[in-house]
Amino acid sequence: MSTPADCGAAERLAGAIALDEACDVEREVYRNHLARCPQCVSQLGGERDIERVMASVARARDEERWEPDLRPSLARNRSARPRWSAIAAIAAAAMVILVVRVVEKPASTAPQPAVTAQETRSLAALGTQTAPHREGRAESLAVEPAAFSATVELNVNARGTPVRCAVAKSSGNAVLDRSMCRTAMHAHYALQPPR
Amino acid sequence: MDALRVTSDPTTIAQARVESLVLEYQTKLARYVRRMVGDAEVALDLTQDVFLSAFRMLQADPGRELSAGWLYRAATNAAISFLRRKKILRVLPLDREIDRTTWRVDERSTASLDLQSALKRLPAEQSAALLLTSYAGYSSSEAAAILGTTSDAIRQRVCRAMRVLRATMKEDTDR
Repeated sequence: MSTPADCGAAERLAGAIALDEACDVEREVYRNHLARCPQCVSQLGGERDIERVMASVARARDEERWEPDLRPSLARNRSARPRWSAIAAIAAAAMVILVVRVVEKPASTAPQPAVTAQETRSLAALGTQTAPHREGRAESLAVEPAAFSATVELNVNARGTPVRCAVAKSSGNAVLDRSMCRTAMHAHYALQPPR
Repeated sequence: MDALRVTSDPTTIAQARVESLVLEYQTKLARYVRRMVGDAEVALDLTQDVFLSAFRMLQADPGRELSAGWLYRAATNAAISFLRRKKILRVLPLDREIDRTTWRVDERSTASLDLQSALKRLPAEQSAALLLTSYAGYSSSEAAAILGTTSDAIRQRVCRAMRVLRATMKEDTDR
């Protein structure tokens, strides 16, 4: 009469036979167990049964034809750093809203910083400007506070560096839109990976 | 000097090492994962994740040894996590009809479908034991090292997996 412990050992022996790791002595022990345990005979089967089942697994393995090629996708992901790519995608989808406010500054006796030619051209392009101030500031802007808002879409790479900026909603002024994109592109973004 | 600088770059070293790992193991590993999860697309994703983990690890420590066993362990863990996350073990029907949509015509041999049908009925640990040994060719002690258990436990899991496979084959014969 077999005990459950014997059947447990028989399971391990059957596993060893299945993996072709059982020595002759172990095979003999297994046979002896089966001779007095009909339950194991029906559940585990004899050595031939085991071999037949394992041959079926081997056949399935040998018939496998699927040839995956991961290299292209890995190359893509490596450059984008996979964990970050999801975040970058979210960042790209997110709209970065920048609001630029031009407010009147208090009169100061301190010399105003000289504006560059580019800034002068930008200001000149603003429709509200009438004539450049002596120090280079647009007079109309200095007199009346004005607020502009635009929405830009920013793509940030895995390193947190912006790689592309597009105006999603214009402020109504192309120069200001471009300035906002320039500002956004000069910043660095720290993205936290998901925990 | 430039060449020296290039080869000492951790990213370059990691890329080269992962490239060779991919070339050598991608097919075996992806097939193993596909058997585990029963879906080629998921298998590709999980296998890719394994290699990317390897890449990140090598990037952080280019001198680290990365064996095939590490890849299989990572793949097994990824597959088990996936199965648990999706609760596929409980949700998937036990008939083999689903295989007809996820496996190509040339892969639908009786042996292949029987194996997949049995694998779906098995706990993931038993599937892993069976596949690591009889499919990937590891011994019970090597599989035990990969799965963090003993070789006796692997033999027992293989036996139980085999029992289910035997029942599946019997059902197929009776049908």
